[in-house]
Amino acid sequence: MPTRRQMLALGGGGVAALIAPPIVHAAQVEEIGMRGRARGEHVWFTPAGLAVAQGTLLRFVNHDAGNSHTATCYHPALFDRPQRIPEGATPWDSGFLLPGEAFEVRLTVPGVYDYYCIPHEHAAMVGRIVVGRPGDHGWLGAAVGAGDLPDVALIGFPAVEAILGAGRVMAPGQS
Amino acid sequence: MFPNLATATFGVALMLAVPALAHDEGALHETPPPAPYAKVSDLVALPDFLPGLGTLFVDPATLPAGPFLGYDRDGKLAATIYMTPIDSLQNGTAYDDLAVGAHDVSSVDIYYNAGHPGVDKPHAHVVLFHDEDAKARLAK
Repeated sequence: MPTRRQMLALGGGGVAALIAPPIVHAAQVEEIGMRGRARGEHVWFTPAGLAVAQGTLLRFVNHDAGNSHTATCYHPALFDRPQRIPEGATPWDSGFLLPGEAFEVRLTVPGVYDYYCIPHEHAAMVGRIVVGRPGDHGWLGAAVGAGDLPDVALIGFPAVEAILGAGRVMAPGQS
Repeated sequence: MFPNLATATFGVALMLAVPALAHDEGALHETPPPAPYAKVSDLVALPDFLPGLGTLFVDPATLPAGPFLGYDRDGKLAATIYMTPIDSLQNGTAYDDLAVGAHDVSSVDIYYNAGHPGVDKPHAHVVLFHDEDAKARLAK
């Protein structure tokens, strides 16, 4: 039975704007898997980009039998990293998840959340969650500027438009 | 934190590559190896048994290169593993005179690893298998 670490990041609500609705997963729970090849040559979040409705519970699950992973948002309160989540959103860090372990976080503040795996940021194991849609009250789009992120991480974030258009975007080479 | 420890001890590790270990290999044949070896899963958040590598022990002073000693599920030494960061190699770091867990080596695998707790930058795994059945015993 997987161990579950839980955290509820509760923030302010929002007022939906009257714009054409993009594809946004409205399921109450969405899973983001942490995966890797057997020898660890490649590691990734799946999906790498995900659009969800406000209040969706995100569940990160480590499906990688030979590695541990984290899901850690970019925020100054966490290892003094640049802020890449909306203002007012509570920063979150899963800590290290061993194979089979899971972590949950509920995102309620609309906007773009960028996160990474602590030991694998330099291997481009990053992800982006889009909560709500542009025009929502309090919406904050993707962070501008690189900060201290390595280039390989910066190019790993799917475009917000692609996420909103497809609902979910896989990491390169993954299906 | 383990990565910081790795950084702090990196230079020392190059000087303390313990060549004498190769002459005291008998003590390493069965798990657990004597101090200063420590189980990797006690040092960082990794599973006790890593598919392909086994149950790993390392002297923290030798990080990041190791040697890491890989034991099978019966506690027998099956492999010696080295982990060499790619950027260090690119920048001219050499890992010379590294110790081995056992003198007999039946085959060697070298492959890329994207990183894991303890050695969190992309690096190469150099795996010395100590008998012909070792790889199979470490697989799962």
